[in-house]
Amino acid sequence: MAELGYIALLLALLASVYSVFAFIFGKRGSSPALLSSARNGMLVVCGLVSVSVLALAYSLITHDFQVEYVASYTSSDMSFPFLISALWAGNDGSLLFWAWLLAVFGAVVTLQKRDAGRELLPYASTVILLTEIFFLILLLFVANPFVRLNFTPSEGQGLNPLLQNPGMLFHPPSLLSGYVAFTIPFAFAVSALLTRRLGDEWIVAVRRWTLAAWLFLGLGNLIGAWWAYVELGWGGYWAWDPVENASLMPWLVGTAFLHSIMMQRRRGILKVWNMVLIILTFSLSIFGTFLTRSGILSSVHAFADTTMGPFFLVFIGIILFGSLGLLYYRSDWLKSEAEMESVVSRESTFLINNLLLVGAAFAIFLGTVFPVISEAVRGVKITVGAPWFNQVNGPIFLAIILLAGLCSLIGWRRASVSNLMRNFLWPMVAALILALVIFIFGARQPYALLAFFLCAFVLFTILYEWFRGTKARHNIRSENYLKAFFGLIGANRPRYGGYIVHIGIVLIAIGVIGSSFYNVEKEVTLKPGESVSIASYTLTFESRDTFQTQSKTVDSATLTVASGGRLLGKITPSKFLQNNYDQAVTEVAIRSSLIEDLYIILIGWDEGDTATSFKVIVNPLVAWMWVGGVILLMGGLISMWPQQQRLPAQNNEEAKESARKVGDRKSQQKGRSNQRGAVSSGRSSSGARR
Amino acid sequence: MAWRVLGVVFILVALLSTPASAATVSSIGEQLVCQCGCNQTVAACPDNPCSFADPARATIAQKLAQGESETQIIQYFVARYGEQVLVTPSKSGFNLVAWILPFLALIAGAFVIYLSLKKWVWQGKVQEVEAETQSEKEDEEYQLRLEQELKNFSEKGFR
Repeated sequence: MAELGYIALLLALLASVYSVFAFIFGKRGSSPALLSSARNGMLVVCGLVSVSVLALAYSLITHDFQVEYVASYTSSDMSFPFLISALWAGNDGSLLFWAWLLAVFGAVVTLQKRDAGRELLPYASTVILLTEIFFLILLLFVANPFVRLNFTPSEGQGLNPLLQNPGMLFHPPSLLSGYVAFTIPFAFAVSALLTRRLGDEWIVAVRRWTLAAWLFLGLGNLIGAWWAYVELGWGGYWAWDPVENASLMPWLVGTAFLHSIMMQRRRGILKVWNMVLIILTFSLSIFGTFLTRSGILSSVHAFADTTMGPFFLVFIGIILFGSLGLLYYRSDWLKSEAEMESVVSRESTFLINNLLLVGAAFAIFLGTVFPVISEAVRGVKITVGAPWFNQVNGPIFLAIILLAGLCSLIGWRRASVSNLMRNFLWPMVAALILALVIFIFGARQPYALLAFFLCAFVLFTILYEWFRGTKARHNIRSENYLKAFFGLIGANRPRYGGYIVHIGIVLIAIGVIGSSFYNVEKEVTLKPGESVSIASYTLTFESRDTFQTQSKTVDSATLTVASGGRLLGKITPSKFLQNNYDQAVTEVAIRSSLIEDLYIILIGWDEGDTATSFKVIVNPLVAWMWVGGVILLMGGLISMWPQQQRLPAQNNEEAKESARKVGDRKSQQKGRSNQRGAVSSGRSSSGARR
Repeated sequence: MAWRVLGVVFILVALLSTPASAATVSSIGEQLVCQCGCNQTVAACPDNPCSFADPARATIAQKLAQGESETQIIQYFVARYGEQVLVTPSKSGFNLVAWILPFLALIAGAFVIYLSLKKWVWQGKVQEVEAETQSEKEDEEYQLRLEQELKNFSEKGFR
C-alpha cells in the first residue's frame, strides 16, 4: 500500500509536467484541444495525489509499523481522529498534505464556473502546477513518507503527548489550507501579468479564494493560540515565537491585500501595490513553512532536523525574482487610473489601513530576524522577546482598530468634515461613558483604558451604522425591523460580512487587552486542606492521586473552588508522563466564564511529601477571544456567500413598488405631488408618472 | 483629519506605556531570559525544578535584600551571560535600530501616501476639468451652428 502511494506521487509528477506543457502550448497556440487535455491533467494530478494521501492514511489506520513514518508518529492505542491527524504530525506527511491540498484547490479552480478570468486560467493553472511539482519533487526525493524500515517494529513511538489535544485536529489543517489557498490569487496575479490583462479581471476572479485563504489562516492562528493556552501551561496564548510570527505575517499582509483590492476596483489605484502584496503574501507563506523545516530554529513547532532548507530558499528565490521581475517588465501596463476625489474619504482610511498592516508585518519581521542581524553586525547575540513585540505592535494594532471604526463613518468618494463629526458624535459619547464606567469599577491602567475606549468606540460605530441601515430599509420597504435587519445583510453580504468580521476582531482585541493588563498570578505550596485566595476565588487543596492508563502515568490534584462563600465546583490540574517520552506534560485546569478564566497549573511536589506547588492565574476576558473567532468565521462566510445579481430596474416589480411608496410618502410629508422618482432603482418606472 | 487623530493616539500611548513600579524578584525575573532552553523568562520558566531559573531567582532575591538596584542586578546578569539574557534589546547603540526602525518605516510610508494622495486627487481634478472643457468646447460649436441655422431660417425659410 505504501508503494502504491509512492507510485501515485511519481505519476502525479509526470501528469503535472505534461499539464504544464499542455497549458503553455495550448494557450500560446490557441488550441482548445490541448487546453482541455491540460485541464484534465490537473484533475488527474488531484486524483493521483488523493490516492497517495489515502495510501498513507490507510497505513496509519492499519498500524503498518514497517512504514517508518507510521512507526515514528503513531502507536496502537491511538484513537481514529489522532491517527488521521498523524498525516500532518511529521515533516513528510505534512508536505504530502500540502501537496494534496494544492492539488485539490487546483482541481476546484479548474472546475469552477467562471465569468471573469477564463483567459487567465491556463497560466494560473501553470503556476499552480509548477508549485505542485516543487512539492512533489521534495516528496519523491527528499522527504518520502512511504519509506519502509527493514524490520517491523512491534509498536510505534506514538504521538508526542503535547500534540494529543483537539487543537491538533484543526490547527495544522486550517493553517496549511490558508497557506496553500494563497497560491491561487498569486497564480492569477502572475497570469494577469503574463497575459497583460491587468484590469480588475484577476481580482474579481480571486476574491473568494483570497477570503477563504485569509479565513483559514486567521482561524488557524487563533486555534493555535487557544491550543497553546490550554495545553502548554504557561497561562498565555502567544509568545511571539518565530514560527508564530511566520504565520502571522502572511495573515497581516493578506488582510492588507483584501482591503487594497477593493481600492483597485473602486478607484483604479494601487495596481502595482496589489501585485507586490500578493507576491509578498505568497512568499511569506512559503517562508513560514521553510522556517519550520529548515532546522534553523528550535521551537515547539520545528520539525526534527531536515535537509530541505536550501530547496525552500531556492524556491522562494525563484518566486520573488520571477514575479517581481515580471512585475517590473509589465509596470507600464499598470498605470493607475487615479479617480480619487477627495483626501477625506473612505479610500484614504483604506490606504492608512494598508500602511499600518504592512508596517506591523514589517515590525514583526524585523523583530524575528534582528537577532541574526545583530550577530552579523556586532557579533553579539541578543534576544528580541515578547515585551518588544508587544510594545512595538501594541500601538499599531490599536491604530488599526481605531481605523476600523473610522472607516465605517467616513463615506466613499468624499466625505464632508461636518458630516463626519456628526457621525462621530453618538458612538464617541457612548464609548466615553463606557470608559468612565469601567474606570469607576476599578480599571486604572491608562493604556488599557484607552484600548478599551477605542474598542468600544469601534463597536458602537459599527452598530450605529448597522442600526441606521436597518432603519432606512425599514422605512423604504415597510418591512418590520427583524426582516429589514436580515434583508439588509442579505442584500449587502460583502459589506455586512465585513462589519461582522470587524466586530469579531474587536472582541478578540478586548480579550487580549483584558488578559494582558489585568491578569493576576500566584504561586503557592499547599498541604491538603489548605487554601489560597486569588481575585474573588478561594481554592482549597484536597488530595493528590496517581494512576495508570494504557499509555501514561497520570498525577492529578483535586481542588475545590469557592467564591463569595459559595461552592462552585472542583477542579483537577494534572501532569502525565507518556511511555516513550520522558518529558512530563502538564494538563492545565481551566474554569472559564465570559468574565474571566481561573487557570491552575500543577507544578510539582517533593517525593513522599503531600505538600504540592501550584500556580494559580486569573485571566480576565479571555473567553472573548474565542467568541470573537466564531464571529469572525461567521462574518467571513457571509462575505463569501454568493449574492444574486440584481435585475435591471425596468423589469423589477419590487423597485416600482418601493419607488411608488417613497413617492406617496414624500407627497404626504410635503403636501405637494412628487414629480421626480426619488429612489435610484425606480428610474424608468417613475419617469412614467410625470 | 484622520492623521491628526492617529497622531494624538500615538503620542498618548507612547507617554502612557511605561508606568513606574517597585522592583521585585518577578519584575526583574520578567526581564531576563531563562538559559535552560525553555524560551521563557526567568519569572515564567515552567520547568520545575529549573537548573537556571531557581538559582537565578535566589540570586535576585539576595541582591534585592542587599539593597542593589534593578539596573545593577540586571547588569550583573548581562556581565555573566551576555546580552542575550535580556528579554528585549537594550535601547542603546545598534539595538536602537530595532526600536526605531518600525516607526520610521511607518512615518516614511505615511509620507508616501500623502504624496500619492495629492497626485491622485490632483489628477482626478485635472481629468474632471478636462472633461468639462471638452464639453464646453462642444457646446460652443453647437451654439454657433444653431445661431447660423436660425439666421438662415429667418432669412431664407425652409430649404
